[in-house]
Amino acid sequence: MANPNIKFLVVDDFSTMRRIVRNLLKELGYTNVEEAEDGLMGLNMLKNGDFEFVVSDWNMPNMDGLTMLQNIRADPRLSKLPVLMVTAEAKKENIIAAAQAGANGYVVKPFTAATLEEKLGKIFEKLEKAGG
Amino acid sequence: MTNESIKHSAIEASSPMINPQEEVINRIGHLTRSLHDSLRELGFDKLLETAANDIPDARDRLKYVARMTQQAAERVLNATDIANPLQEEIAEGAAGLKTQWTAIKATSSLKSDYDKVVDETLTYLGKTIESTSATKAQLMDIMMAQDFQDLTGQVIKKVTEIAQSIEQQLVQVLIDFTPGAPTVAKEADNGLMNGPQIAPEAAPELVVANQEQVDDLLDSLGF
Repeated sequence: MANPNIKFLVVDDFSTMRRIVRNLLKELGYTNVEEAEDGLMGLNMLKNGDFEFVVSDWNMPNMDGLTMLQNIRADPRLSKLPVLMVTAEAKKENIIAAAQAGANGYVVKPFTAATLEEKLGKIFEKLEKAGG
Repeated sequence: MTNESIKHSAIEASSPMINPQEEVINRIGHLTRSLHDSLRELGFDKLLETAANDIPDARDRLKYVARMTQQAAERVLNATDIANPLQEEIAEGAAGLKTQWTAIKATSSLKSDYDKVVDETLTYLGKTIESTSATKAQLMDIMMAQDFQDLTGQVIKKVTEIAQSIEQQLVQVLIDFTPGAPTVAKEADNGLMNGPQIAPEAAPELVVANQEQVDDLLDSLGF
């Protein structure tokens, strides 16, 4: 497990899903979690906060998750931020587009706690390798 | 020869150099007019009116479904939020008791009967720890089951959008095919050119709903 104080931002327009992801993260030992209800709010929070990890939905009003991801990658201060997409969009072209935009992982809804844990683990593993 | 073809040949005769595009528009105009008249004769304008009224109702129902499912999801999530710490407390208490009983058993010189009860207690406490952690896993499952709200919510949102777009289209058809209503009625409901009343029962003191009421009114005025 990575640093338990790592600061997460969960971006989803459905409050139910935000709570589920927050509870799952808590269960995995991560309690420093904040929430945003769309990409625009998420991006603003990221620009003004010291977030270290983003879990984001795709289909949201105001700004979708892919656009938010592209904005993150285009911002020199945020470009290295790990982003895990958790979305109901299950078309191949969606997954390819997310990967091309620089997503660190892609989880399709509905998902299990084990899947989220595994994807988070993989991302942390890669980050550690890249960092060390 | 029909009126239509007489007009047609008259146009051709009077302007032999007519633009073919104008000709097409002209024909579409005639078709639209006859479609409009047919729809009216068949009572389709009333049907369209009903459809346009029904769709907001369907939309409201879908919104209701979305709201209720969200409430249900939140209720269960609240329950798990409450139950989880309780379960943790029970597990911690049992673990503490187990440690204490183990210590007493090791240091005291007591009867074998007492030892038996102690063993049973320890077994029970061990099982309690197991079952509380199993309950916790079940609570996690309950939480995960609520992801339906996100998924059905997305579908319902789409259906609502579709319903909304159909409604707008139908309303546009009504506006296009019923000159003067309902926009004109709203704009100038104090004037004398308001066109057909879309909802006469909404203002019975101002508007009549059927021919009977028209006749009654005329009677009361002495006509």
